[in-house]
Amino acid sequence: MSVDGDPRPAGAIERCDVAVVGGGPAGLSAALHLARLGAYVILLDEAEELGGQYFKRRQGSVLAKHGDFRPEGTSLISAVRASGVRCWTECSVWGVGEDERTLLVAGPEDEPRSVSARAVLVATGGYERSIPFSGWQLPGVVTPGYALHLATCDRIPVGQRAVVAGTGPFLLPVSCALLDVGVEVAAVVEVNRPYRPSLRVAAALAHPARLAEFASYRAVLARRKVPLLQGWQVVEANGSGALERVRIESVGGREAGREYDVDALAVAYGFRPATELVRLLGARCEVRQGDLFPRTDGRGRTTAEGVYVAGESAGIAGVHVARLRGEVTAASIAADLGLPGAAEPARATLRRLRRGEAFSAVTADLYPVPDSLISGLCDGTVICRCEGVTAGQIRAADAVGWNDRNSVKGATRAGMGPCQGRECAPAVAALCGASGSTEPFPARMPIKPVPIRVAMGESAEEVS
Amino acid sequence: MSGERDDTAVCVDGVEVPAAVGQSLAGALHDAGIRVLRRNLVTDEPRAPFCGMGVCFECEVSVDGRLRRACQLHVRPGMVVSTGREHDDER
Repeated sequence: MSVDGDPRPAGAIERCDVAVVGGGPAGLSAALHLARLGAYVILLDEAEELGGQYFKRRQGSVLAKHGDFRPEGTSLISAVRASGVRCWTECSVWGVGEDERTLLVAGPEDEPRSVSARAVLVATGGYERSIPFSGWQLPGVVTPGYALHLATCDRIPVGQRAVVAGTGPFLLPVSCALLDVGVEVAAVVEVNRPYRPSLRVAAALAHPARLAEFASYRAVLARRKVPLLQGWQVVEANGSGALERVRIESVGGREAGREYDVDALAVAYGFRPATELVRLLGARCEVRQGDLFPRTDGRGRTTAEGVYVAGESAGIAGVHVARLRGEVTAASIAADLGLPGAAEPARATLRRLRRGEAFSAVTADLYPVPDSLISGLCDGTVICRCEGVTAGQIRAADAVGWNDRNSVKGATRAGMGPCQGRECAPAVAALCGASGSTEPFPARMPIKPVPIRVAMGESAEEVS
Repeated sequence: MSGERDDTAVCVDGVEVPAAVGQSLAGALHDAGIRVLRRNLVTDEPRAPFCGMGVCFECEVSVDGRLRRACQLHVRPGMVVSTGREHDDER
């Protein structure tokens, strides 16, 4: 049973003080603080175990053989479970009721559940910023996050020989993890030039601990003679039925292109916040570089009353900031609900949060996504991988003169597949010529695909 | 092959495949050489796990009769998995 407590019959509304959606670092941290203040908290996560992506647990025989991975995650999860938080795993929040507050949930057996809370904390994390390119839908092309989880949690190499590409500091630990499980890393291909002296790099000097971490990854890559190319981008993945070859070109085309024979390519351009639920709950977001960021007061309050956001879904800043945001947002919720024992966050906590957020701003400056990645795509490139819609089809629909991106979506079906535009929406928006002034696509229910009977509010028994 | 796949088996499209309890199902299939898990319904192209975190749905397979994302599940003894690798008249 992965639904804690004494669950009411499927269909009944479960009431609580705070519903926390997402059991990663931010959600765990917030749930723990709120439970310690006496709040009745339900923590929902769609995975089988809490932890989110960063604290994803090793399990079963992999755990027995290789030991725990990131043990601080295990202790945090244990503390949450011991604190009285009711943990609902394998529970997908797919919608919001007519009152704009009740969470509609598909349970472990796809049974419909709903949760009505005085406060909803969205801690749904982020996901990797994938940018389409020719052949990105080929088997063998993955996100760096997936390659990392295969290496760390499952101890499985993503391939024999790999290219790791995109942008961001994350590419370095991913490359090291791949080396650690025996993958030959042919090259790390970074589209920016963050590892050269510049004024922007100098700003990072104020954060020596993080710099030391990056230096250790670079030392491993140098020792293993893995080339770290800067100012290069992946332009094409090729292969018959699966990836066989990757082509890269230098940004600006000053050098001749290069090709690598590989069976794996891990590529992404940083992360974007997962904001579907925040938006569905009526909170406003702003667009920066084509991605959506919830508006907050800096302490987790969104523009919608009773709706809060913490962690990567509030803006990409890494695990330390995620935990601090969870703590600070818990204090906001406790104050707003008038919980006994509610107090201002500790000054030291707020100071660490400010420092962490400042570092993430430096990082964002060092690893931008060049506009040319999307504007330079050939017409034949698949943009919406679910529906097989190409850049040419989207440009043609845009040229018809539709008033908005939803009409382009309707005309081409881009963004209408199972991933619901999570992978392609920003690229579609960019191809439509919108510079990111409005939302890529609005959030619509169900925000996660669920069986139709769940959306109809029926349980499996009633149907069969 | 990582050498982890030695303590149980899952049934994939009618064939017993060695796996390790607690591995992600997507990882176990990858390790067993089963890279393609489905064909795109529109283009019929082969597809394989991409995001590994439940976003892209490229790893969706049938597990014990229900459509599940293989990256979100862990191997349990006796799992019965059916992929969409091959053409299926019913689709």
